[in-house]
Amino acid sequence: MSRTVPVSKKPIWITLTLALAIHISLISLQGRRRIDTGFVRVWILDLLAPVEKLVDRSFYGVRSVWDRYVELIGVHDENQHLKRENDELRMQVIEQREAILEAERIRTLAGLQGSGLGKSIIARVIGRDPAHTQTITIDKGASHGLKADTAVITPAGIVGRVIHSSNFFSIVQLIVDSQSAVGVMLQTTRRQGIVKGNGGRDLDLDYIDDDTDLKEGDLFLTSGEDRIYPKGLPVGVITSIGPRRGLLKVVQIRPSVDLGRLEEVLCIIGRREHVDVVDPTQVPQGP
Amino acid sequence: MRRITTVGIVGKFATALIAVVVIQGILSFKFKVFGYFDLPLIFCVYYGFTLGNPIASIVIGSSLGLMQDSLSAVILGANGLSKTLIGFFAATAVSKFAVDQPITRVFALFLFSLGDDILVTILSLMVGPASSATHSGAVGIWLLSATFNTLLGLVLFGYYDRWRDVTA
Repeated sequence: MSRTVPVSKKPIWITLTLALAIHISLISLQGRRRIDTGFVRVWILDLLAPVEKLVDRSFYGVRSVWDRYVELIGVHDENQHLKRENDELRMQVIEQREAILEAERIRTLAGLQGSGLGKSIIARVIGRDPAHTQTITIDKGASHGLKADTAVITPAGIVGRVIHSSNFFSIVQLIVDSQSAVGVMLQTTRRQGIVKGNGGRDLDLDYIDDDTDLKEGDLFLTSGEDRIYPKGLPVGVITSIGPRRGLLKVVQIRPSVDLGRLEEVLCIIGRREHVDVVDPTQVPQGP
Repeated sequence: MRRITTVGIVGKFATALIAVVVIQGILSFKFKVFGYFDLPLIFCVYYGFTLGNPIASIVIGSSLGLMQDSLSAVILGANGLSKTLIGFFAATAVSKFAVDQPITRVFALFLFSLGDDILVTILSLMVGPASSATHSGAVGIWLLSATFNTLLGLVLFGYYDRWRDVTA
């Protein structure tokens, strides 16, 4: 193992002090909010996100090759000629099925796009947060009209909001993140409240006018009070109601969107206040 | 014999740093369990041990942390500060401990991983509201993450050592 022993330790302490000073400055500037440090994120995001997108594409390509060719090698032994024909047909079917599924997803999003939400844009999910927070990276950024607090949704319901945006990529905070809060109303009684992420898979009810008539299976919609999400979009359904803790019952809500299987999302870049076309009772399953 | 320039070495390290952060991001997205791993931390500790050069380790740790912060909702500088310290301590540990011994590596990886999570959480709490890392099960997640990082680190360290010996 090669070990470099410096003659003087002075340069080490200078480097360490300098590095710590830079990071402490960045942290304290964000705390005081006197100077916007967003440009540092923008630079690094612009540097890393294209690589991330490239690797994501390569990963997808390798997986496709594996799925379509390598796993079929064993079957080739049985009947070479028939299998070759079968492989070709199967490849076509897989490709077409994938194309149909993708087209269906895009068409559903496009349908949602023209449903009174206001100006919006379809984005592809290209990465997930490497730390423990609940965020995703999408391939649209400030140059496409995205900025902080842009609402991100799917036909099944709301996904989250943009928290950082570079020119061509954005970081989206999912609604299940513990720093996330959404203004909601109960679909049946129209009572208004607030739900918060718990850092896991579900949401917790943080506040509601009156919790006496809540029952499992009730659907929460966005209330529009948070000025981020348009009114009337599905948020989630009540999965469990526990005993009262303080003023409120402990209520768990499962998000309408399967946040673990997001592929394409819709970003609302110029929204109206109310969604009048989306029918929450016709919510499709999955993202 | 091929001449190795400073630019070449810096370029190789920069590429490796970006690759580590990107791979961590992609794997966390494809396989949820990878959210418990911290490849940049393992990379930072390994190069601290291998190079034994505090200045290089500080720069590597600092860059890795800053890139990690930029791809997450964590405050900018939290992972940067934490990884800077880890790089420094890993490099200085070379002269005091037998860092090529598995038992030393187990302790180092576990403590560095735990320390990293705790420091990032404290810094996040100092600046903003409670983050995801501070919910009720946070301590369990830290311990799980530290265990995963230790196990993966041991495997990767062994693999890197063999690879380095072959290419040396």
